[in-house]
Amino acid sequence: MTFRTRLLIAFALTVIVAVAFVGAIVSTTTQRAFERVDEQRVSALTAQFRQELLRRKQEIAEHVKEIAEADSTRDMVIALSRPDADPSVYVDAAEPLAAAHNLDFLELVSASGSIVSSAQWPARFLYQEDLVAQRDDWNSQQPFLKREDLPTDTALALISVRVASVGDSKLYVIGGEDLDRDFLSSFVLPAGMRALLFREPQSIVGVSGPVPQTAALAPLIDDLRKQRTEVTRTVQWTADAASAETFHAIPLIGPAKDPGSPKDPAGAELMGAFLVGSSRAVEVELERFLRRVEILVAMGGILLALLVAFWTTARITRPVEALAAGARAVAAGDWRTQVDVRASGEIGALAAAFNQMTRELLEQRDRLVQAERVAAWRELARRLAHELKNPLFPLQITVENLQRARAAYPEEFDEVFRESTATLLAELGKLRGIVGRFSDFAKMPQPQLETVDLNNLVRDSLKLFEAQMQAAGVTLRLDLAADLRAIQADPGQLGRALQNLVLNAIDAMPSGGALAIRTAAHDGGVRLEVSDTGQGLTQEECDRLFTPYYTTKTHGTGLGLAIVQSVISDHGGKIAVRSEPGKGTAFVIDLA
Amino acid sequence: MRLSSWLPIAVLSALTVSDAATRPRYGGTLRVEMRAAPSALDPAAADADPLRSLVFETLVRLDEAGAPQPCLALSWQHDATAKRWQFNLRPAVKFHDGSPLTAAAVVPSLQAALPAMTVAAAGDTVTIRANHPLPDLLLDLAHNGWLDTGPFRSAAFEPGRHATFAANEDYWGGRPFLDAIDVQLGRGLRDQLADLELGKVDVVEVGPTDLRRASDHGRAIWASAAVSLIALAFAPAPDRSDAPRLREALALSIDRAAMHTVLLQKQGEISAALLPQWISGYAFAFPTAPDLPRARALAAALAPAARTLTLTYDPSLRAARSLAERVAVNARDAGLTVQVSPQNPHADVRLVEVRLRSLDPAQALAGIAAALSLQAPAAPDAAPSPAALYESERKLLDGFRAIPLFQLPVLYGAASRVRVYAPPPITRLGDWRFDNVWLSGTAP
Repeated sequence: MTFRTRLLIAFALTVIVAVAFVGAIVSTTTQRAFERVDEQRVSALTAQFRQELLRRKQEIAEHVKEIAEADSTRDMVIALSRPDADPSVYVDAAEPLAAAHNLDFLELVSASGSIVSSAQWPARFLYQEDLVAQRDDWNSQQPFLKREDLPTDTALALISVRVASVGDSKLYVIGGEDLDRDFLSSFVLPAGMRALLFREPQSIVGVSGPVPQTAALAPLIDDLRKQRTEVTRTVQWTADAASAETFHAIPLIGPAKDPGSPKDPAGAELMGAFLVGSSRAVEVELERFLRRVEILVAMGGILLALLVAFWTTARITRPVEALAAGARAVAAGDWRTQVDVRASGEIGALAAAFNQMTRELLEQRDRLVQAERVAAWRELARRLAHELKNPLFPLQITVENLQRARAAYPEEFDEVFRESTATLLAELGKLRGIVGRFSDFAKMPQPQLETVDLNNLVRDSLKLFEAQMQAAGVTLRLDLAADLRAIQADPGQLGRALQNLVLNAIDAMPSGGALAIRTAAHDGGVRLEVSDTGQGLTQEECDRLFTPYYTTKTHGTGLGLAIVQSVISDHGGKIAVRSEPGKGTAFVIDLA
Repeated sequence: MRLSSWLPIAVLSALTVSDAATRPRYGGTLRVEMRAAPSALDPAAADADPLRSLVFETLVRLDEAGAPQPCLALSWQHDATAKRWQFNLRPAVKFHDGSPLTAAAVVPSLQAALPAMTVAAAGDTVTIRANHPLPDLLLDLAHNGWLDTGPFRSAAFEPGRHATFAANEDYWGGRPFLDAIDVQLGRGLRDQLADLELGKVDVVEVGPTDLRRASDHGRAIWASAAVSLIALAFAPAPDRSDAPRLREALALSIDRAAMHTVLLQKQGEISAALLPQWISGYAFAFPTAPDLPRARALAAALAPAARTLTLTYDPSLRAARSLAERVAVNARDAGLTVQVSPQNPHADVRLVEVRLRSLDPAQALAGIAAALSLQAPAAPDAAPSPAALYESERKLLDGFRAIPLFQLPVLYGAASRVRVYAPPPITRLGDWRFDNVWLSGTAP
């Protein structure tokens, strides 16, 4: 992974983490704020409901009391108490009374519990109203909730019961109001909130009428039925999260079934519930908006991070890359490489140091090359002087012999002349040989490349040395890779190079030993290894082994390994030596 | 207090007042309102009552006991087989156009009314002959063969809206006390009562629920016999297999007594029979008490979807809505659901009021059966015996396609200025007899 990529990732992660963190904080804070506001609104509405309920109870109680205490009711009590009372006279009495007092329900019930007149269900005259027999102290009772049967429906009513008495005669006045949509419309609702009324067993109404799709509220109702306390639940109306609505349900409990134990919640009946719904749409939309903003900011941040990364890397990594490229160029041999880095600070100093280094390396190499050239010339001159000195001394002696023989022994001069000229010719031949070898080394021909099977080349080259190895007591170990690929090489030059190495190895084992030749695939190319179990070389000898005219042997020109190195180098390969004194020597040739 | 107790009191009151105050006086226009809105003054039309009796007369009329009395025919006789009858016309009777009432003038009307008989004139007598005995010819003649010789003649008629009748100066029974009768047609019961209370009208029809109010302030109540059957009639639709059970459950759930006491203020009589007791004599044999346990059992045996009925009523009928709603309440106790709605042509059952048109039990039964869409019994050759009539009626009520509830009288409320010289102003069948009605004082 490049520095630029790492930098980009680091910047981007920083931006994303920061945005996510801020977004989370904002979302959480917003959610809490909404919840607080929601709680406050629900509390306000709940208080409003309780207040309205109390007000209505008081209102109903007053109206029913008025009716019970009215003169017309008193007359009714008296008339109905007579033995020949005709209840039909008052069968229509309840309806106008109810209308006059704004009551939705009004029943006049005789002392025996028989309905005299019913405003909400006129046809129920003479039916028994069991409610009146439940208590004796109706006049001290507060209004309560009751399920009121109607011709086509069942209503949830707030009912008050009063007894109109004249002497021992009495008439029950049961009046009340319907908790319906009109009741709900009396509430002042903030935006996004609504009030519903659940009436057992299954009816749910709102201000506009019956609420459809009440199945979603079923779990809330179930909780209410089980717990009979205020419950809160969020309802999802559709798959869209914005349709969610949080409902707070206040149970509406009827009177205890056992009048003797009014505080009997288990016995009291759940009549319904007041539901306060608070839409989550605004909150959800806000969250969505925040999320969109977060994403936009994150994307912007990432874009900014990209730009910053690119700019930063341009200022940092480009010089570094330039330096790295320069180093690679230097490693490849171009020591004249200079990096053009216009940077300040450490990078600039590094670039300057790099350029300084290459300049100095160049100078040093030049000096070294010059020194090596001088050394090589000196070595060449020394070797040349050494090589030439041997044949030149006999030449000098022979000419001096001729001079002495002519002067001292003229009669033997012809024989001396013949012997001396023969010697002269032989020595001159040696001189020509020396010059020829020098000439050969000087003008090494370019390899003629062709496809060569290295294993076959090895086998062919070794055939020339079978007799010599046997005579020297050298055992041959071949380890040739079976699937070695063919290489592009000059078989002649390469073969001569191999032969030179084999000769050197045989020469290194005068008392016999083992010669191992191994071929293998290596690093995409091939490797040829020639190792012996001879006397080995020191480190210094290893360092100078490939220098022309350097030899550890008593014979030879010292050009053999230099020529091998030159051949290998012309093939694009490299040769190395590995040796320790007493542990033999191994030459390793790598070819592409 | 039952109407039967009230009636003598009302009449006695009227007489007492008249005796104590003034003698009958001529003059004045009687203002009447009625619900019916006949489109023509045709004596043969089904909705001719009660206007017909102001203008038209028959050869014979029925008294309060239902016995035939002379009207345009002064006397009559028949042969031993009762196949040939001869009627002697009352002399000095004139039609409203002034022409004298003769046998020849009477024959066409009578022949048209009695197509199965042969009607002929012979001098001042009218002969009626048939191939079979005619024991009930007098009853027939009391309801057929209308002649415009009545105490009042039609002065103006706006179909469905208004009718004015002027006194027949040459009426054979003596000029009526009233100069004219002004009748507003098609007026609802509540409006009629309001007009009576406001003094805008002298005689109105009264529903049983308004009886007390109508009788306030010295107003008189005129009542006929129980001639109006209130019943539940099922629509003549193809029966499901469980329909008879449903109808029976409904019939057994109805508490007639409570409705009669409260809604009808004990007017008329509770009845489970098609004919009233005073005509058939056997109405008591049809049980009227509810049987709620059996009704519940029958309803429980029905599929839940089959326990629902729609009940409709005509809002113009007396106490119709209250009665229908009470039926629904009773049915609910039995486990049936009855949905009440006014004027629903597709309802399963209707609350209807059927008027008795004849004092002849067989004819009355046939008329009621037809009105209730029941399969009428075959017209007998001779008057059936009470047992046979009972059997016919029982067969009609088998299957509970009709559920009789009450037999009610026709009630009229009369303003205090309306006096009656000779009772009653309303016949047993509810027809008007205003020739002896007079007005005291002036119209308010």
